[in-house]
Amino acid sequence: MVSEKKETGGSVLFKVMQQHGVEHVFGYPGGAIMPIYDALYDSNIQHFLCRHEQGAAFSAVGYARASGKVGVCLATSGPGATNLITGLADALADSIPVVAITGQVPMVAMGSDAFQEVDIFGLSLACTKHSFQVRDVNDLAKTLHQAFAIALEGRQGPVLVDIPKDIQTAEVEFAVALASNLAKKEAAPSANLGTALTLLSQAKSPILYVGGGVGMAEAVPELREFMAATNIPSVATLKGLGAVNPEHEFYLGMLGMHGTKAANIAVQQSDLLIAVGARFDDRVTGKLAEFAPNAKVIHLEIDRAEINKRRFADAAILGDLKINLPALTMSLDIDSWRQHCSVMKHDFAWDYNHPGETIFAPAVLKEVSDLMPKNTVVTTDVGQHQMWAAQHMSFNDPSNFLTSGSMGTMGFGVPAAIGAQISRPDDTVIAVSGDGSFMMNVQELSTIKRFQLPVKIVLIDNEKLGMVRQWQDLFFNGRLSETDLADNPDFVMLANAFDIKAKKITKKEEVTQAIEEMLAHQGPYLLQVKIDAADNVWPLVPPNTANHKMMENR
Amino acid sequence: MNQHTLRITAHNQPTVLERLLQVTRYRGFSVTGMTMFPSNESNLLDIELSVSSEHSIEHLNHQLSKLFDINDVVIDGKSSQQNSA
Ligand SMILES: Cc1ncc(C[n+]2csc(CCOP(=O)(O)OP(=O)(O)O)c2C)c(N)n1
Repeated sequence: MVSEKKETGGSVLFKVMQQHGVEHVFGYPGGAIMPIYDALYDSNIQHFLCRHEQGAAFSAVGYARASGKVGVCLATSGPGATNLITGLADALADSIPVVAITGQVPMVAMGSDAFQEVDIFGLSLACTKHSFQVRDVNDLAKTLHQAFAIALEGRQGPVLVDIPKDIQTAEVEFAVALASNLAKKEAAPSANLGTALTLLSQAKSPILYVGGGVGMAEAVPELREFMAATNIPSVATLKGLGAVNPEHEFYLGMLGMHGTKAANIAVQQSDLLIAVGARFDDRVTGKLAEFAPNAKVIHLEIDRAEINKRRFADAAILGDLKINLPALTMSLDIDSWRQHCSVMKHDFAWDYNHPGETIFAPAVLKEVSDLMPKNTVVTTDVGQHQMWAAQHMSFNDPSNFLTSGSMGTMGFGVPAAIGAQISRPDDTVIAVSGDGSFMMNVQELSTIKRFQLPVKIVLIDNEKLGMVRQWQDLFFNGRLSETDLADNPDFVMLANAFDIKAKKITKKEEVTQAIEEMLAHQGPYLLQVKIDAADNVWPLVPPNTANHKMMENR
Repeated sequence: MNQHTLRITAHNQPTVLERLLQVTRYRGFSVTGMTMFPSNESNLLDIELSVSSEHSIEHLNHQLSKLFDINDVVIDGKSSQQNSA
């Protein structure tokens, strides 16, 4: 303890945040959190007023993902708190460190169905890594320190701290103590390193399966060193994109439901799968029983609960990837396998031929990717445009591609881009959205306007809920139930209403100039790209099918 | 259906039981019995949890062991910390 001084609960909150290096928070005020907003008034922490608490939660997620720091969001009790839930669920599913602070009705009123009282603690159980309800102002600082520590420790995730209004106003001696270590012990690391080294040295057709854990562990340099030493062919998950250098000769791109043909076939043919920070998600494996059927598995993971959860690991290496990847490094004698992968990569390369005048979204996204500055952050919404972005854009770091992977939450793109732009003011930030998803958090254009954020939005407009329409066409006999959006608003006018410059393009020959104009523009910009509503995402592995039995455009 | 008993040591927080039961249900286990023994000396809670499920008990063990307020999980006399893959 260094000094002691009377503070209110509200001011303790911001003091503790400052100790954890928090500079920016996202939120929305209301009755039960007013003392905290009153304390904010005197704080150096910058608050970004969003226009919906879901926007605040996703901005905190985007902030965290783009910067590696904890994202913070604030909301009032009742409806404010429930509006955070989708963002917290998204953060839990993608393992993103977020601290959410909710106001609660005063303790005397709790449990009485008071105005704007909701049991947010109960609601948070299924969508947070941990949650607290503070019941004594003397516990507040310690609880907040723990919240930040838990969000970052091991497999990262969201933590909620619910603070009753009377605790926000209560006076307390604030001890400027340093954040204590977590009481919870880390699981002892365990490794089958010997088995793993034997498996790797004997493999004829090994493949590296790179997941989002690599970026979360800040192990991108170690991964690239491992790849340089082994020259092993590799594939990545949606959340792993950016971890592998996209120029690597034997990198085959994304695997899974909309993965590249080369990636999926190589994985199916492999005799050893080295899963690094990946969890054999169903969108990755397709029919699990037929996934990489001849492969042994080395699984490098931080979360013991993922080992043997969906696929047995012949060698499990639990712990920090920064230590464990170098321990596996060796040179591999797999020339013919490398050549085979290389030939597939070449033979099954993307085809950007698209007859007619209408714009081809994959080609647009490829061009945006080629023209955007180095270290641009791309966020996406959910649907076809998301898969096209994953397939056709290249990223040199996982923190440069932010997409709602596990939860697949429409409405993620714009607020996540806002958070990313605030955390990285000098980098270009582009939200790739669809005409359905865009409308789900469209109110956040106000946040862009208020803070003059130079976010660029590429709106892929097919006047449809495209991904659902594609499934209706393929698997529901073309019965297009409730997926038509022909009565969308005028997106250019809509953007202009928020002082955002906007342009609509409909023909191929307009594409290059429009992208250049967007990227050169200093402020926010919306580029509406009209595409053919019938365009589908290919390849596609149908549900419950082995990954090599993909459907392709013919 | 397999029957198992877990011996759990937890921090005696008012919220720990809810989280424990939420995870148990979500991971596909039904509770067939539960007894709690708050400790007098420390702020700890010993819980004996009987569950039935078609899933591997290791799965639940690992998920519960991750919880912040749970110190230790032991399956039927077998220690949770030493039996990974
Ligand atoms: C919040 C939410 N609701 C519903 C869905 C189901 N869903 C997945 S993709 C999709 C269509 C998205 O349409 P759009 O944003 O226009 O993108 P497109 O597929 O046309 O590129 C829907 C409704 C979802 N992922 N998230």
